[in-house]
Amino acid sequence: MKALGIDIGSLNTKAVILTGGSAFTSSIVPSGDDAEKSARAAIGAAQHQVGLGNETDWFIVATGAGSKSLTFTQQQKSITTCVARGTNFIFPTARMVIDIGAESGAVLKINERGRLNDWASHDKCAAGTGIFLQQMAKLMQISIEEMSRLSMLAKARADITGTCAVFAESEVISHVHRQPPTPKEVIIAGIYYSVVTRIIGLCKRVNIEKEIAITGGVALNKGVVHMLETELGCSLLVPQLPQVIGALGAALIARENIEKGAAK
Amino acid sequence: MLSTGEKKDTVKAMVRTCRLLRRMNQNNPTARRSESLYYEMLDIYYSRLALAREQKQFIAAHTVFFPAEILYAMDLVPMHSEVSTWMTALFLEYQSDMLAAGAELGLTPEICSAHRGLAGAFALQALPRPDVVLWTNLICDNTAKSGELLMKLNDCPGFFLDHPFQNTKIEEKYMINEITEMVRFLETKSGHKMNWDKLSEIISRTNHEINLLHEINELRKAVPSPFYNKDFLPLLTIDYMFPGQPEAIVYLEALRDEMQDMIRQGKGAAPREQYRLMTLFIPPMNLMGFLENLSRDYGAMSVVEPLFTLWKPGQLDPGHPLDSVVQKSFMIPETHNMYGPLGQETLNQIVTSARDYKVDGAVYWAHIGCRHTCAAVKLIKDTLNEIDIPLLTIDCDIIDPTISPESEIREKMERFFELLDDR
Repeated sequence: MKALGIDIGSLNTKAVILTGGSAFTSSIVPSGDDAEKSARAAIGAAQHQVGLGNETDWFIVATGAGSKSLTFTQQQKSITTCVARGTNFIFPTARMVIDIGAESGAVLKINERGRLNDWASHDKCAAGTGIFLQQMAKLMQISIEEMSRLSMLAKARADITGTCAVFAESEVISHVHRQPPTPKEVIIAGIYYSVVTRIIGLCKRVNIEKEIAITGGVALNKGVVHMLETELGCSLLVPQLPQVIGALGAALIARENIEKGAAK
Repeated sequence: MLSTGEKKDTVKAMVRTCRLLRRMNQNNPTARRSESLYYEMLDIYYSRLALAREQKQFIAAHTVFFPAEILYAMDLVPMHSEVSTWMTALFLEYQSDMLAAGAELGLTPEICSAHRGLAGAFALQALPRPDVVLWTNLICDNTAKSGELLMKLNDCPGFFLDHPFQNTKIEEKYMINEITEMVRFLETKSGHKMNWDKLSEIISRTNHEINLLHEINELRKAVPSPFYNKDFLPLLTIDYMFPGQPEAIVYLEALRDEMQDMIRQGKGAAPREQYRLMTLFIPPMNLMGFLENLSRDYGAMSVVEPLFTLWKPGQLDPGHPLDSVVQKSFMIPETHNMYGPLGQETLNQIVTSARDYKVDGAVYWAHIGCRHTCAAVKLIKDTLNEIDIPLLTIDCDIIDPTISPESEIREKMERFFELLDDR
């Protein structure tokens, strides 16, 4: 029996297959309206990579926003539990995880076994999430990569609210259109700072503990990571594939189930 | 949705609902006697209010933690404004109308919904028009400042009872003067005289009620818990609405006896107890059914609510009724824990009760409109973490279900249960 983890995110669906020891294979497909279809597509892509198909006996653990709607999984687990487990697998020394996905932002405290000790999340507004950054890039008419690069060149930063995505958008528009316009990198630094202060607020709620890892799609944004490192005063552990850590954790839980004999 | 011009007779609807629920319980062989008795208590309360309105008796609307024993002793008809608002919201699903009416008065969603709903309920005339409004500063500034608006909405006089923060001899004396002055105000307005003998009898029964509450709290330490999650609300209403009332004693004795029976039989309120939780602050009213279902679906039991159900030790003296009213006001769990500065005594009690009640985790219902209790979250969280008790903070609203939907809260609870499983 093989272990497979699937994470249904609001933007992407990720699948992970453990291929032995610490090796794993992953796939990422865009999430559609039909979670089941997206999940099957991600699983199919991952299975293809390892050369195994549906004829194999799989133990599947699902996580993420749409996981409860899946009909073919053996177990559902919350994203916090899975991210904790996945992070510990990659970075055993990490005691805190900043997880920023497309529509979520959370800070997790984990122990040496990858078990969740505490967490704090903000879920009342898109401010501070990946979608928010995407929206801001669109508004500034630049790519996320360019936005990230410019943020690191800024010598000052504009004041942008961190509590409401809509108000933040209005503030950015007003900075763009004022005479003379606020320099782009200053606006972007302000946008990033609004995200970072929100995240650091969550870190403080659960008490900062090193080492700190960052996961989720936003971990690919070097500008955000850089600013977080500056504000936190330490380097962050960034996995190679930060988007799939939740799915990896789900796969690890699937493997634990197989080993415990729960699959029989 | 109603505009403020439309009226709904919620008092009679409450009476009908309580009677229906009571009949349903009586016809259900698995229902507990205490459940029927609870609805009977509410029936008595709201029938008295309905009759008072019809017969134009003197109705005294009061806010939470007001010493209603004074009103009973003066033969005035009490109307607990906040609880009556919650009850109508809960039983009659009337919260959206009341909150909308509150919004029409300019009360924004950031303001505590208990106060928005309360003002809305009076604006809609969903609660009977009182002859006086009595309010205090217990336990928040919102309450202190809501009285003027309630007087205006009801076009009636009112009295503000100023309760001191600290429990010292000087402040007790000050409080006695405050209550004496209020009694004079009520005598003038109602024409009813204070019956001091009756107050003594009420104090004697209130003392018995408090002792029963202590007994129930002791029984709740049992594993598995013999206390149903849904009994939290009835327990709160005892002192809010029924201080020194015989029907409350009958209810509490029945509840205690049922719990003792369950302990003797080794039975718990949940089919299979999994998680023993501490509840901090107060869960949203609309989620009482959901919380009961959590015990069935996950074996999650609220075993202690230190800020709301643990009374400060002490005995009242019927021979000194006025002093006892004052003394009781400092013994109320919410008053001695949440009014004024957050003291070390409260933090100690949280730690002690976490141990005594064998708590696995705590849930803090962070009512977003209640700024002063939300400010305590961090300190309480850190205090519990020191003894390895994790705390889940749920941002919510006490009445307004639009702030945090049930699905969102369920998801957070599930995450928390996973965290507890993993320990």
